[in-house]
Amino acid sequence: MASLRRSRGENLFIRYLILGAWASFCLAPVLWFLSIGLRPRTEIITPQPIYWPTFSLDAWHMIWEDWPMAKYLRNSVAAIIGSVVIDLALAIPAAYSLSRYTYRGRDDIGFYILSTRMMAPAIVAVPIFFLFRNVGLLDSIWALMIVYAAINLSLVTWIIRSYMLDIPKELEDAARTDGASDLRILWEIIIPAILPGIITASVIAMIFAINEFLFTLLIASTPDAYTMSVALANFTGGSDGVIYNAIALVAFLAFLPVFLVVLLIQKHLSRGLTMGAVKG
Amino acid sequence: MPNSSLSDADAGTVALASRKFKRRSRRLKAWFPYLLVAPAVIYLLLITLYPGIFAIVQSFYAVKFGPWNPVGFANYERLLVDTQFWGALLNTFIIGSISLALQCVIALTLAFYAYRDPWVQGWRILFLIPMLFMPSAVAFIYKLAFLDGRVFSDILIRVGLIEQNLAIQSSIWMSRGLLILADIWQWTPFLFIIFVAALQGQDEEVEEAARLDGASWFKIFWHISLPLMRPVVIEALTLRAIDITTMFANVFIITKGGPAFGTETISYFIYRTGFKFFNFGYASAASVIMLILTIIIAQTVVKRAFVSVRD
Repeated sequence: MASLRRSRGENLFIRYLILGAWASFCLAPVLWFLSIGLRPRTEIITPQPIYWPTFSLDAWHMIWEDWPMAKYLRNSVAAIIGSVVIDLALAIPAAYSLSRYTYRGRDDIGFYILSTRMMAPAIVAVPIFFLFRNVGLLDSIWALMIVYAAINLSLVTWIIRSYMLDIPKELEDAARTDGASDLRILWEIIIPAILPGIITASVIAMIFAINEFLFTLLIASTPDAYTMSVALANFTGGSDGVIYNAIALVAFLAFLPVFLVVLLIQKHLSRGLTMGAVKG
Repeated sequence: MPNSSLSDADAGTVALASRKFKRRSRRLKAWFPYLLVAPAVIYLLLITLYPGIFAIVQSFYAVKFGPWNPVGFANYERLLVDTQFWGALLNTFIIGSISLALQCVIALTLAFYAYRDPWVQGWRILFLIPMLFMPSAVAFIYKLAFLDGRVFSDILIRVGLIEQNLAIQSSIWMSRGLLILADIWQWTPFLFIIFVAALQGQDEEVEEAARLDGASWFKIFWHISLPLMRPVVIEALTLRAIDITTMFANVFIITKGGPAFGTETISYFIYRTGFKFFNFGYASAASVIMLILTIIIAQTVVKRAFVSVRD
């Protein structure tokens, strides 16, 4: 790929200075925060910041023993997987419809789906809160599932639509002349062919679901339905202040699996993030 | 088509049945794409249209915990002169536009240097890392480094730039700067990843031809690559702008909107009005105004940004 793009006539020193500077800016806070997670509480907020702390696994024991961390983790995983399943069930047929048929109102429907991505969570926060309160779903991971699915549905639909548009129509026509129904074509030809797109969409939906903060904060008002993201904001031991080392460890606990799956879909990431506009 | 069914009346039952079936299946065929897209649309309508209507209705009431008392346009009249509401809009705009502009410049610069680099994959992974932390975690990193732990002040003192700890919490502009910095740190990679992919996807031979004509890399980038990737840049910035204007977790954790409401974003304003003061009718009125603004912007700017990139 980069064969033609040799760096003739460019100052390599400046290039690596700039890229290196940004890399340090990215990594320094991360490494420092990791050191926060691995030090005792007494060395976090001190008159003089401590740069070489004593190693300690206090926080590790604390998050599992003093808090129902396993439960928060379970809540996060259940709500996220559930929401991705809802998204795929709704988005795959919708994307198929948007990419394979021509009909009146198609583009408007497509844009409506897309436009829900622009809705600020705060705008719908109050009504959604009342909605879930009225149906008795506050404090439950079902409510989180429903909300996460709604947040990500536009994204998932548009990513999958973009991958479907890439499949040559002849592939389907051949099957159709053999008498296969539209649904069978979708199931047996299209879905296997766009599997990378489906995985990319799921991973990106997963990231946004883990990150979701405002709705979770409102819906999960007791630890019963806390996810990791909101549990973090509540790691304050009253008079003890914010418990930073526990927060840091939980942050890395959530980071690692996300990092690993993102490595797997790396090539598709730019396409997923732009909902299919860039074919990276 | 309705006429044809009359002339078919005396046809054999088998033929009639089969034609009926065909007609029904043709009608089904016309509806089929709608049926496929309907579940997703209904789901989204329930979760956006219902709240929209609910907010509009509620905005005409005074709602605390008990019964709803109709108040007409009182909530809106109050909003129009509420300096905190307009302040929140202004803060959202100030913080958002500065942050977005800086992210765009940084991401373009990094992409310009990285996309021709042999280790571009490595840079992508490195730069991606901040984006993969939960926003609430990032907020705590910055809260500790700049406020609670004073690490930033300490480093500046050590290198001799300042003599006293910075009083970030009591300065509106330093607090805004902190929110902007956290946002830049976490989300510049989003733009970077997209820009690099767009640059890599461009035709190398055009660049090479320009190179042979003696154009510098910067000139090629400015006059050829950048105009080509304009639609992608616009769409990526639009997506980022949407997320920045809804910034919440950082405000909630780092500044709580202070000092003097100087960092209160519109999301935080609605949250505080509704869920801290339990003034739900008033919060809904603010939501409705935001909703109208969102629809206007979506139908004009955003629609164009998204349509242009795909056609």
